[in-house]
Amino acid sequence: MDPARPLLVQHEENGDVDELFDVKNAYYIGSYQQCINEAQKVKPTSPEKETERDMFLYRAYIAQRKYAVVLDDIKTNSPPELQAVRMFAEYLSSQNKRDAIVADLDKKMAKSVDAANTTFLLMAGSIYYHEMNTDAALRTLHQGESLECMAMTIQVLLSLDRVDLARKELKKMQEQDEDATLTQLATAWVNIAVGGEKLQDAYYIFQEMSDKYSSTLLLLNGQAACYMAQNKWEEAEGVLQEALDKDSSHPETLINLIVLTQHMGKAPEVTSRYLSQLKDAHRAHPFLKDYLAKENEFDRLVMQYAPTATA
Amino acid sequence: MLTKFETKSARVKGLSFHPKRPWVLASLHNGVIQLWDYRMCTLIDKFDEHDGPVRGIDFHKQQPLFVSGGDDYKIKVWNYKLRRCLFTLLGHLDYIRTTFFHHEYPWILSASDDQTIRIWNWQSRTCVCVLTGHNHYVMCAQFHPSEDLVVSASLDQTVRVWDISGLRKKNLSPGAVETEVRGISGVDLFGASDAVVKHVLEGHDRGVNWAAFHPSMPLIVSGADDRQVKIWRMNESKAWELDTCRGHYNNVSCAVFHPRQELILSNSEDKSIRVWDMSKRTGVQTFRRDHDRFWVLGAHPNLNLFAAGHDSGMIVFKLERERPAYAVHGNMLYYVKDRFLRQLDFNSSKDTAVMQLRSGSKFPVFSMSYNPAENAVLLCTRATNLENSTYDLYSIPKESDSQNPDAPEGKRSSGLTAVWVARNRFAVLDRMHSLLIKNLKNEIVKKVQVPSCEEIFYAGTGSLLLRDADGVTLFDVQQKRSLATVKIAKVKYVVWSADTSHVALLAKHAIMICNRKLESLCNIHENIRVKSGAWDESGVFIYTTSNHIKYALTSGDHGIIRTLDLPIYVTRVRGNSVYCLDRECRPRVLTIDPTEYRFKLALVNRKYDEVLHMVRNAKLVGQSIIAYLQKKGYPEVALHFVKDEKTRFSLALECGNIEVALEAAKALDERSCWERLGEAALLQGHHQVVEMCYQRTKNFDKLTFLYLITGNLAKLRKMMKIAEIRKDMSGHYQAALYLGDVTERVRILKNCGQKSLAYLTAATHGLDEEAEALKETFDPEKETAILSYRKSVPEVDPNGFFEGAIAAKGKAGQMAADLDMDAPGGEGWGDDAELQLDEDGFMDAQEGLGDEGVGREEGGGWEVEEDLDLPPELDLPAGAGGGAEDGFFVPPTKGMSPTQMWCNNSQLPVDHILAGSFETAMRLLHDQVGVVNFGPYKSLFMQTLSRGRTCYLGLPSLPCLRSHPQRNWKDCGAKQGLPAVGLRLSDLISRLQQCYQLTTSGRFEEAVERFRVILLSVPLLVVDNKQEIAEAQQLITICREYIVGLTMETERKKLPKDTLDQQKRLCEMAAYFTHCNLQPVHMVLVLRTALNLFFKLRNFKTAAGFARRLLELGPKPDVAQQTRKILAACEKTLTDAHQLNYDPHNPFDLCAASFVPLYRGRPVEKCPLSGACYSPPYKGQICRVTQVTEIGKDVIGLRVSPLQFR
Repeated sequence: MDPARPLLVQHEENGDVDELFDVKNAYYIGSYQQCINEAQKVKPTSPEKETERDMFLYRAYIAQRKYAVVLDDIKTNSPPELQAVRMFAEYLSSQNKRDAIVADLDKKMAKSVDAANTTFLLMAGSIYYHEMNTDAALRTLHQGESLECMAMTIQVLLSLDRVDLARKELKKMQEQDEDATLTQLATAWVNIAVGGEKLQDAYYIFQEMSDKYSSTLLLLNGQAACYMAQNKWEEAEGVLQEALDKDSSHPETLINLIVLTQHMGKAPEVTSRYLSQLKDAHRAHPFLKDYLAKENEFDRLVMQYAPTATA
Repeated sequence: MLTKFETKSARVKGLSFHPKRPWVLASLHNGVIQLWDYRMCTLIDKFDEHDGPVRGIDFHKQQPLFVSGGDDYKIKVWNYKLRRCLFTLLGHLDYIRTTFFHHEYPWILSASDDQTIRIWNWQSRTCVCVLTGHNHYVMCAQFHPSEDLVVSASLDQTVRVWDISGLRKKNLSPGAVETEVRGISGVDLFGASDAVVKHVLEGHDRGVNWAAFHPSMPLIVSGADDRQVKIWRMNESKAWELDTCRGHYNNVSCAVFHPRQELILSNSEDKSIRVWDMSKRTGVQTFRRDHDRFWVLGAHPNLNLFAAGHDSGMIVFKLERERPAYAVHGNMLYYVKDRFLRQLDFNSSKDTAVMQLRSGSKFPVFSMSYNPAENAVLLCTRATNLENSTYDLYSIPKESDSQNPDAPEGKRSSGLTAVWVARNRFAVLDRMHSLLIKNLKNEIVKKVQVPSCEEIFYAGTGSLLLRDADGVTLFDVQQKRSLATVKIAKVKYVVWSADTSHVALLAKHAIMICNRKLESLCNIHENIRVKSGAWDESGVFIYTTSNHIKYALTSGDHGIIRTLDLPIYVTRVRGNSVYCLDRECRPRVLTIDPTEYRFKLALVNRKYDEVLHMVRNAKLVGQSIIAYLQKKGYPEVALHFVKDEKTRFSLALECGNIEVALEAAKALDERSCWERLGEAALLQGHHQVVEMCYQRTKNFDKLTFLYLITGNLAKLRKMMKIAEIRKDMSGHYQAALYLGDVTERVRILKNCGQKSLAYLTAATHGLDEEAEALKETFDPEKETAILSYRKSVPEVDPNGFFEGAIAAKGKAGQMAADLDMDAPGGEGWGDDAELQLDEDGFMDAQEGLGDEGVGREEGGGWEVEEDLDLPPELDLPAGAGGGAEDGFFVPPTKGMSPTQMWCNNSQLPVDHILAGSFETAMRLLHDQVGVVNFGPYKSLFMQTLSRGRTCYLGLPSLPCLRSHPQRNWKDCGAKQGLPAVGLRLSDLISRLQQCYQLTTSGRFEEAVERFRVILLSVPLLVVDNKQEIAEAQQLITICREYIVGLTMETERKKLPKDTLDQQKRLCEMAAYFTHCNLQPVHMVLVLRTALNLFFKLRNFKTAAGFARRLLELGPKPDVAQQTRKILAACEKTLTDAHQLNYDPHNPFDLCAASFVPLYRGRPVEKCPLSGACYSPPYKGQICRVTQVTEIGKDVIGLRVSPLQFR
């Protein structure tokens, strides 16, 4: 075996069962409450596992936007992994502390970082990604070798439109563990970016996961994205309706519905309703930020044109 | 070879299958004939009349008869229905070896050790022919299945073929009289024999034991003591030896042709049965027994079944499985038939061959696994030697000609079983019983360590069911761990419900139903083999055994739905239809009556409305149903069926329905009933009923006490009176005591001679007069006891606490009973269940908390140590490593996004907007259609932009990823993408209707707004062909015409009409409006306005023109009539009173700004988008119609299709 491979993988290849599988799996497919439930049920066999479990537990709370739970629960004497999670929670919870947190993070990153603390790398990567500082995010993630670091790297690369590099990274993931949930999900992301025939493959990955575990907003929106990329609007409508039933103000679902309703030729009012909902509930969503920026750009550009004569 | 049935008995010398029923006759060496049902595995009957071994046995094909021949020289004909021997044919002089019926004539053929073969007429019960010629024992003689031939085998080493056409002609031609044969005859007066030897087959060099015809070809097979099986061929003139099958190493007892395949079966005293390939003359299969020599073989005339008799019994067997390999997905059934993969659509019943299978395996396909995502199948083939089993992976061709389907190249590998575990992965159980995961290229992706297992089954994505000797394990392939195990021996098939929430595990004689987590829900034992099953939509498992279709509810209830003649394999159940494949692989649909299991299902689910509906509408009533309901705890439902009052009464009590019980009790009026009812009613607090019961049973004590506790003093007093009348002294006293009626008590005591007690009572309660009177009647000194008595019972208010409480309780009880009756008791159940859950949850939580607490402590301890040992910052090597890596990591530059490609690939403005490149989009709109004022375009731009990206979530808590739907996603590759537009010409056209409606209803300004949005949207279209380009242009024209017209009309309405000039202007504008190109319905309105205005202005000539135009449009009758009137009026004076700037005959364009006519030939400036006309001074201004374009601007022109750039 390649000695450079991290410990985690060795465990798996030795046929050891990952006791936290259900916890992690639920987290990755976006079934956060289930992740929390599983985490509370599982009884880890070692302190390391327990920290790992807590890490997923708190990250699931973060994904549910319940930052206070995380901030209150994680104390200064908690393990460093959890401190990293707390940092991320703090970053997401308050807009105005963000700069300070990032500055602090920059300092930490400037020193040598314990590359074994994958959680720290992931949280740092997440913060940089939120900051759209993709260089720093990639640099940070590059130091980790866990599947999740690679998956996040892929996500960053895809947001940079570097499908070529994302594929390379995916290949590494597949070499490590092709059937892991994260690898499967990352495959789906890359497939969506590649497009064409791969869209169907991506769809199947989401579909299989929701069959096997449970359908979540994450998986449903993934399916919808695949359908819409294939111009299968009617099919996408069904999936998005299901997502809407699960959570009527989920931002990504709303965004996809904005796209969908227009492509289905519905009345413009239907579309604008979803847009208003989005503006109402998720003002800070990058989509809206982009949208507002574009509106400003439009207003600016309008000034460049004028009729030669006025009435 | 598959053994279906085995018997233990004395040596079996003869065998015969019944042609229709699942029966086989075995004649034994000890003289007994046994009739077996091989499907039910039971002995049906025994016939014991022969003395000594019975060797010949044969069922009649149509009649309930069979014939036997034994060593007692007797031929017996039996009727199995009457269960007795009908008659015995005597004539043979030695052992009888075989007896056979003719398939058509009423003949029996017998072969005997007396060296003769005889033909008997079983109707006349006479011997009609004796065939002589063999010069040793005749071991076997059989009729030809269709011709007038007999074949016989003898220990004289020959096989002979006899022609019996003479016999047939003589005996069965009309008017022929059967001559009884006496002695050895068969030769008539003229020397013509009834039966003559046609061929003598010499080749065996020992005695021949058996000879048989081929069912259709002119072939004979024989088996002899020279250990050989020989095949002979014959024609009209001769017969010759074709070939020999060597292999048996002892006497061959019997040899037969396979009725349908090119095979010969033979058995021998070497204790083996052998199967030979007829064309290659090689052994295909051998089946050995340890101790038993084989004596006889029988083939079923229609089915794929054989029987063989040996020293200690008989076996019924078949050569290969007949179960078709099939798989169901959605509405499609895939199955293998005759080397073809076929597809059956359950909805349309369309059955097509989709693929031809690669040949090469002599074994049929054992099982199939279908992958809907990739449209691929795995076909597993099992060899006799399991280790040689293989599977084939085929990709089903997309298009296929059903008559002559493609034969795609499959991928074959060795392996016991292969099943899909994911869209692009399948699991293979290889011959070493280890598990391999392979991809679509049939390459091994990984090997998985699994618990010992001998078979694998599908279990949803990523999971498998592994079967070992005594259980089934649910195994997660990804996590490589067992999730659950259930004990059940030798599962053969696994059937998942459509939503994979339940699974049925089928073993040979057992069914177990489990949930997704493999927790056993129920176990069913079957005496008959379980064959197949499928889940119906309501979650009932429908399965078949060899002879029944049955159902099983997950609660374990099961029963028979209908019987089957032959085994079938259920593929799907829907409503009343059971779709299945039969053994010939023909898809069939059977109808079943689902009432029973639906009824039970409704009961289990406590859907009582459904239950009652069924009770009322279906013919369900019967003792069995009532017993069932009572047994299963649904007495309240059973009540609805029962007419018998006694049963009704006990059922009502069982479910606590006092009302019904009371009714029944009244009808019955038996003491025991009233007593039981009283008890039950008392428990429920139903005191009125209790009272009635006590009254009926004359149970005064209890009744009194009841009145006491219910506080019913009036009744209590009555009871006292009754007791008095009944002379029940103690009852009387008790009642008085209850009532606190001292006077009465004193009276009673006095009357019964207890004077002292009476005195004391009176004295205690201050009844002095009474006391005094009493005192005199006895000697107070003797009675020393002083009773101190207080009023025992407080006087209770009739509506006091007791009654209230009890009444309330009674009411509650009643309500509860009602609930049981009507409302689904499910509520009750649900509550209980929930409560339990809650408790569990609570428990878990507590446990969890507890553990966490402990864990934390430990964690804290560890952390401290870690901190002491190795602070991460000080870990130099790691840091350095990180640094080094940092050093050569170069962050990648941003790649080319699809939106950038869109801009590169297209010159159409909408593509640029979708890409978010507003700047270039505006440039294009400016250059193509002269847009200079983009304000009104803002909402269109933003809307369009917002449909250019979808999003999907990557890792949790991270910003989402974007995807860009493209219209040419199928073939654009990485570089040639173009966005999906999302705005269709047809949608815009349909939006016109709305505008028209607004116009009709006179909401002109709104209409103009809408028309304008459509008009502005047209440049944002992408269309595919010239026609659509033209339509887009036309759409612009329509919008323009309406916008110009409606704006002018709005303008006109605002104008003053005080002076003549002003009125003239109004008329002019109305007239111009009639020259806008509008829909007829609108034009009618416009013309009427103009007509009226002109008529009023007395410009009759022009008005007449409008009137005629109006009439041409075919307006409504009333409008037309009025118009005709006006026209008539105008035509009287066909002149115009005023001169207007309007010449209907001179074509003009209308200036959209000043609303004056621009007659042909005069200079005109046009809007580059809408094409609206303006008089030259307006050049350079904003177009009034579009409000975005510059009038008279020099532009490229509208571009809405890539065609326009070629």
